[in-house]
Amino acid sequence: MTAIRGAALATCLALAGCAAQPTMLESALPEGAQRSIELADTPFFAQKKMQCGPAALAEVLSASGVAVTPDALAPFVFVPKRGGSLQVEMEAAPRGHSRLSYRLAPALTAILAELGAHRPVLVLHNYSLPLLPRWHYAVVIGYDATTEKLVLRSGTTRRQTMSARQFVRFWDRAGRWAIVTLRPGELPATADRARYLESAAAFERVARPEDAARAFDAAVNRWPDEPLAWVGRGTARYAQRDLQGAARDYFEALRLDGSESGARNNLAMTLLELGCPHAARAQVETIAKDALADPLRAAVEDTRSQIAAHMTASISDDPESCRAVGR
Amino acid sequence: MSISITRLAAVCTLSLSLVNLGAAGFAHAGVIATESLLPSARAEDLATVHAALDRSDVRQQFEKMGVAPDAVDARIANLTDQELHRLAQDLGHAPAAGDGLLAVLGIVFVVLIVLELTGVIDIFKKT
Repeated sequence: MTAIRGAALATCLALAGCAAQPTMLESALPEGAQRSIELADTPFFAQKKMQCGPAALAEVLSASGVAVTPDALAPFVFVPKRGGSLQVEMEAAPRGHSRLSYRLAPALTAILAELGAHRPVLVLHNYSLPLLPRWHYAVVIGYDATTEKLVLRSGTTRRQTMSARQFVRFWDRAGRWAIVTLRPGELPATADRARYLESAAAFERVARPEDAARAFDAAVNRWPDEPLAWVGRGTARYAQRDLQGAARDYFEALRLDGSESGARNNLAMTLLELGCPHAARAQVETIAKDALADPLRAAVEDTRSQIAAHMTASISDDPESCRAVGR
Repeated sequence: MSISITRLAAVCTLSLSLVNLGAAGFAHAGVIATESLLPSARAEDLATVHAALDRSDVRQQFEKMGVAPDAVDARIANLTDQELHRLAQDLGHAPAAGDGLLAVLGIVFVVLIVLELTGVIDIFKKT
């Protein structure tokens, strides 16, 4: 009898996760972090029916200086017949408001570090079991290592506290998905090179050129040996019509990695527009086009034909000014 | 009112993305977006190749799912080719977080109550 009771208790404890370590939050504290933080000035928007997505997104965007309401965001992140918002669009929507979205590494430490940098974190939870999921977006605004609790803006609750253990359990069931929004030029506290470049490149698509330039400035400063950071800034400068600046950035990318065909192709286009078709052709001719895949291959082809169209038979060399490009 | 705001936002987003591309004198197809040069994009060439297909697919699915037609363009404009590809694959199944309460009966309900009381799940609270 005692054995059965013991087994039942053990099962219950295991199910409830009672066996998890009691100092989950404590051990996830980044080095030098405060023991407790609460970003109390994070705005709160009580969610409407099925609209935790727009509400949570409005909270993090407002915290990063965008004046926006859940009602204004709903047309962009709510899918009526799904009765909710999709992760992909939660990540994409900030770009339309001059903000990058950055996906955090799947670790509690990353969330705590962002809070330490005064940045609230948008998370996805699954309150139920994997078979019968009940998804929910909430915004983490604080933690306390002494009480092992996190503080959230969630649904219609302005200030919800949740034990770290409970939080991580719900977060685990949602694949540990968490994002922050960044002003152009800001790096996340936990900036990872590949993740940040993904985030900046996705931003480039709809960003104003000056915003894209700021986003890649930050990458160039943090990782000066990363060719793609230079390519990104070059392309932003190109879009700003700063062709000399663009050429310098592309040259730097190629100095770091001569096989970066994207940089070479864009450099060729830039040289062409600077009135240096011969220099442009010299660049594009060194690209081994057959080894490339679309869309890069198509771009190189297009660059070649644009250069050919601008070549004049009577002029055999570029003007003198072309020698100084990229210096 | 809300529709006109939606339309305005859609127009703004679209015109912003056009500003990027439009400058006089040269066709800008030659300059390639950084997005296409990322290692992840290169590993997933399919995504870029099928971007046009995915775009019309996602557009149709969005409309079927009740997204306002004047917001669809702006929503698609914010997505990278890879995101578009993912969305085309699983718009109907990917987690959609709202607050929809579960409609379950009988034994499942009892099991859920037990799990709720033991703290494994937390679904009956109004959020």
